[in-house]
Amino acid sequence: MRRPHDIIIRPVISERSIGLMEDNKYTFIVDKKANKSEIKKAVEEIFDVTVTKVNTMKVRGKKRRMGRYEGKTPERKKAIVTLKPGDKIEVFEGL
Amino acid sequence: MKATVEKIEKNRVALQVEVDADVMASAMHKAYKKLVKQVNIPGFRKGKAPRKILENYIGTGPLLEEAIENVVPNAYLEAIEETKIEPVDQPSIEMVQVDEGKPLIFKATVDVKPEVKLGEYKGVEAPKAEPEITEEDVEEHLKMLQQRYAKLVVLDKAEPAQEEDTVIIDFEGFMDGEPFEGGKGEDFPLVLGSGTFIPGFEEQLIGVKTEEEREVKVTFPEDYQVEHLAGKEAIFKVKVKEIKRKELSPIDDEFAKDVSEFETLKELKEDIRNKLKTTAEEQSQNLFRQAVINKVVDAAEVDVPESMISRRLEALVDNFSQRLQQQGMTLEQYLEYTKSSLKDFKEQYRPEAERSVKTDLVLEAVAKAEGIEATEEDLDAEIEKLAKLYRQDVKTVKATLAAQDSLDTLKYGIMLDKASDFLVENAVPVKAEEAEEAGDGTEGAGTEDTKKETAEATE
Repeated sequence: MRRPHDIIIRPVISERSIGLMEDNKYTFIVDKKANKSEIKKAVEEIFDVTVTKVNTMKVRGKKRRMGRYEGKTPERKKAIVTLKPGDKIEVFEGL
Repeated sequence: MKATVEKIEKNRVALQVEVDADVMASAMHKAYKKLVKQVNIPGFRKGKAPRKILENYIGTGPLLEEAIENVVPNAYLEAIEETKIEPVDQPSIEMVQVDEGKPLIFKATVDVKPEVKLGEYKGVEAPKAEPEITEEDVEEHLKMLQQRYAKLVVLDKAEPAQEEDTVIIDFEGFMDGEPFEGGKGEDFPLVLGSGTFIPGFEEQLIGVKTEEEREVKVTFPEDYQVEHLAGKEAIFKVKVKEIKRKELSPIDDEFAKDVSEFETLKELKEDIRNKLKTTAEEQSQNLFRQAVINKVVDAAEVDVPESMISRRLEALVDNFSQRLQQQGMTLEQYLEYTKSSLKDFKEQYRPEAERSVKTDLVLEAVAKAEGIEATEEDLDAEIEKLAKLYRQDVKTVKATLAAQDSLDTLKYGIMLDKASDFLVENAVPVKAEEAEEAGDGTEGAGTEDTKKETAEATE
């Protein structure tokens, strides 16, 4: 059984994610294999909030080159979690 | 904003200033707006990161610093206005409490204008010479004119040269029978007795006649500039080509017509007398003015703060080095030449600097006591003068001055001038002879300055 901290890897802090926070939506990088219900459970457990909706998306790794070798940045899964109105996550402190 | 003043030393105060928390907060906000544009935070375009993110990224330190930089100078100026202290130097500022959300407290330590205890300044007695132009003075001036307009007349061959005659000579110098460098000249006009050549040379030419050749034996002085010649004996072969003598024209109406626009000698004399009188009067008025100011300054008690002296000293040094530069010399070269250091130099000028600061302070105090101020009209008049001096448009001059922030300085100068005018108007002139006896002791350092001043003025 994976623990909640294995599923939620880190918060995403960017212009967009900060903007979404106004709508009570929080963005995380999550484990690639986690599904929406697992994410919901993990978030509820870690932050002690109620999650009403989870949207997920896969972020394709980008092609990067080191000289003649071509590589890829890792593929990730991003989850935008909507909380019940009034709930808050305070841990979005800096990087 | 709250400000409290605390005296530390005689002319030094510590100013404790408290800046309200909300002023500080808005300054912080401004600081954030400024800094956020400079910092690159991943995930955000420049200038788009929220304050919290920025604070986490760079810490609150830089924000506070930036805010303080903005707030403190203003707060300091406001505090000065509020407490009515008159600083004369840059303050040294020390932070007492720097915390976000709390009032900012800082301590500024600064030299303030010293209190001036004026002594007697109205009805000061000072010596004033009443210049009298005697017939002799006029005669002397006439003789000077006579000399200046004298004609040079070529003498007959038979007549010997006298002192003050100009001889045109070819000469060649020999040392141990060998000609030496720089010892040769042709058609050189030499005024006998003028001391142009080494001692002994000109004297031996007295009595010489035109076309005569004469050998002159001289010994170079020990301190001659050209080292290998110093102290050596030399023989100069001199050939006299021409002798010219100054011929003075007699002082009469004819002469008056020649040297001036006047028709008769009497008119010329009258004119000379008037001119001499005006200069003499101006001079004695200047002397009087200096003496009055000096007396008032001496009578006043001022504790001149060190910072003011050193600032004035800097100004003096600057001024001096600029004058040197006009003569094509740098201050360093000058110091090397006189074998002194900048420190010695400053030490030397220190009393002068102190005196001039004290004078300014005293005059200012007088102006204050008498309600003397420089009005806008005064300022305009002064600017007009300046404009004339620099041959520029009044408006341009004013704009330049305003741009340099020197209008206030100008005003201050006018105020001081007016204050000294006031002193002079209220002073009692004493005849020079009497004053010399009565005025001793109180003047001390003053008199010397006065002499120097007038010497410069007359040049």
